[in-house]
Amino acid sequence: MTSVGAIERYLHNCIRCGTCKYLFRDYRPSCPSGEYFGFETYYASGRIGIARGIATGDLEWDETLLRPIFACTTCGSCEVQCLAPHRDHIVEMIEELRAQAVERLGALPHHRAFAEKIQSVHNPYGAAHHGRRIATKLDLPRTAPVVYFVGCTSMYRENEIRDATLHILSRLGVDFTVIDEYCCGSPLLRTGQAGLAVQVAAHNVREIANSGARVVVTSCAGCLRTLRDDYESLGLSTGVEVLHITEFLAEHLTREHLTRMDLTVTYHDPCHLGRHAGIYEAPRAALETIGVETMEMSRNRANAWCCGAGGGVKSVFPDFALWTARRRLEEASETGAEVLTSACPFCRRNLSDTADGYRLDVRDVVELVDRALR
Amino acid sequence: MGESNVADGEGERYIYSYDMTENEPRRPVAVVMPATVEEVQAIVRLANERRTPLVPFVTGQNVGGLTIPQVDGAVIVDLRRMNRILTVDEDAMYALIEPGVTFGHMKRYLGRHSPGLRYTYPLAPPFTSIVANALLQGLCDLSTRRGAMENFINGFEVVLPTGEIVRVGSGILGEDNWFGRYPLPDLVGLFSGWQGMTGIVTKMAVQLWPKQPYVRYAALFTTDEEQTVGLLRRIVRTQVLDDADCMSVSLVKMLLGAEPPVDIYPDEPQYATLLTVSGQNELEVEGKYQAVAQAVARERSRDRRVNLIDWDAITVLMGRDANSWVDFPSDAFKILAEYDGLTWVGTYVHPARWATALKRGREVVERYGFELMAFLKPMNGMHYGELKFIVRFPKDPETIERVRQCNSELLDVLLALGAIPYKTPVWAARRLLERCDSGFVQLLRRIREFLDPNGILNPGRYSL
Repeated sequence: MTSVGAIERYLHNCIRCGTCKYLFRDYRPSCPSGEYFGFETYYASGRIGIARGIATGDLEWDETLLRPIFACTTCGSCEVQCLAPHRDHIVEMIEELRAQAVERLGALPHHRAFAEKIQSVHNPYGAAHHGRRIATKLDLPRTAPVVYFVGCTSMYRENEIRDATLHILSRLGVDFTVIDEYCCGSPLLRTGQAGLAVQVAAHNVREIANSGARVVVTSCAGCLRTLRDDYESLGLSTGVEVLHITEFLAEHLTREHLTRMDLTVTYHDPCHLGRHAGIYEAPRAALETIGVETMEMSRNRANAWCCGAGGGVKSVFPDFALWTARRRLEEASETGAEVLTSACPFCRRNLSDTADGYRLDVRDVVELVDRALR
Repeated sequence: MGESNVADGEGERYIYSYDMTENEPRRPVAVVMPATVEEVQAIVRLANERRTPLVPFVTGQNVGGLTIPQVDGAVIVDLRRMNRILTVDEDAMYALIEPGVTFGHMKRYLGRHSPGLRYTYPLAPPFTSIVANALLQGLCDLSTRRGAMENFINGFEVVLPTGEIVRVGSGILGEDNWFGRYPLPDLVGLFSGWQGMTGIVTKMAVQLWPKQPYVRYAALFTTDEEQTVGLLRRIVRTQVLDDADCMSVSLVKMLLGAEPPVDIYPDEPQYATLLTVSGQNELEVEGKYQAVAQAVARERSRDRRVNLIDWDAITVLMGRDANSWVDFPSDAFKILAEYDGLTWVGTYVHPARWATALKRGREVVERYGFELMAFLKPMNGMHYGELKFIVRFPKDPETIERVRQCNSELLDVLLALGAIPYKTPVWAARRLLERCDSGFVQLLRRIREFLDPNGILNPGRYSL
């Protein structure tokens, strides 16, 4: 959840120096939104300026503000580049501004639609709620030390990630189960709809507690950030350790499990996993363990260019989302790798949606690990 | 341009209505983003038909209210999409660039494609427009040797306020011929220093220089204003320096991590100067360094508080940050990005009155209770000096008013010493024109009326 008062705390800190617009000391673009839309309003400094104008009363709420406020993937690259005192709180300020916008003008129609779906069937895609059908199918126990939190995109769209993760956990002999999970709340929190997020979060916290788990593993970067960091901001706690699957693999996957793969791979850092959660090396370690040849894109780790899908952008600004993904695919192609891999179902989806015409196979890290385990 | 490059939302109108300084905001009616010279031309022609005021704008970190419309109904012409480095001519050592090209982008480009050449950096974030800084006669890290950045202009292409495209400089004879401005009537002056009132420059040829393989830096610490300026003048007149960048020692302390307000103790040095020498080999650099060291030693024989410290020693004390500050000082800029307000009164001043200007200006700043953040640069081989007092401030109404009063008083002090303000806000230009030769003002008005009969380009700027 956006921390109340971030805008007020940092009201007088952004000078609009423009440092957020480009990679520090590299001078290539860092902000997909600013690069795509061009106007000053579409950079972090512009959004902070809008927040400042609203806070000081210099700027009245108006429908035309919604576009610059919401056309941002909240990738957080601006935070990496900025040198000012508010640098660690820019995304927080943008999310707070979005919450204010929703309160004053209502959610954007697409965002409201997925919130309604989450309300009714507990996922933003409007798919029939899955409940614990997987548990029945795989004969998973009601309680276990490890819970696999699948996440809506893997459950309802990018099934390969879900299935690969389930297979990996089984092959490694992990005593795990799944819960009757609801949407983690990430899409709501990124789009200014925190009220409903509290409800779904409370459900998930209860389910995790009932599972008896000590560890929650997720293959979704968005779920990871939300469960690990945002729930605490909402005043909730899972009370367990939350790990991304690649972090879990770092402890459990060894070369003896694996068939070496003759493959060249480049890894795309998901924003929610990298800049938001600080996890850069675990996915790379997993790739190294399975023996693929990895080739880094020139913008990587904290400076990685966003895939374009996050922050509620893909549903409302699809052209922007795909344009951003194309920039990433071009960069991936320059490495000469055969596979563009990531560790986030939303990245996989948006990069796949754009991959026509590129000689790149888009896969999640867990799919490659699963392949190496077979 | 397409609809996506035109905006009239409240957000755009607000964000483009103010800059980082205390200058009064005013909202444009719209913002447009052309990508080609033809689009700029079409915008200007339409503006002439409709009598619509236009205000050029580039990369966003503006000062002096220079991109704030001075009249209602203005349209901002944001040139950031025109951001190509069109040519680097290695033989004549120039780059032909569009207005959206920044210092950072130039550094990256040269590093990759022409590593034997260098450009400069300003005391600003690296994402400042080169064309804008050159046209505003700003300074950079070669100004001690070569003067204000206008000196580095070989020529340009410009859309006149009436929509015609013209060229000035040797580029009048062809696309690959931008080697210089002379011998010709120097029409660069019709556009440089005019703050976007006489045309929109759509491409500019700027000089580059051979990158010297050996560079050495040192920090010079001095005490009071007379000593600081006197010693700088003597050192620069040895003609061995590439650059000298002098600042209040409080800024150095902040770079070291001291929390403001920074205390300066009576016996401490008051000013620190980064000195740069370079050459083709170590012997040349050492010789230049020794020339500096001798000048410093003479002063030190009178005052032991004067110190010249080699940058290697600074690096040992400060770590790798110290190298980044001299490489391209974007790290150092962070101390200026503390609040949402930053301003200065900056002037170019006669060397004989430089120390007095510094001393009297300091008194004003301290009387208003702001941190002393003075910057000085010997300019153009010490033919003149640069001096500015930076004030960083939170933009609350009370502080803004105090900043305005402080800057107003500073300007009066400096004008009285014959200093000329640069990147001049309208209020400061008005005061300058009130004092200066009346024939100059009349000529300015006549030139402006001749070039822009409908008065559409940046009306009200420079109080004209």
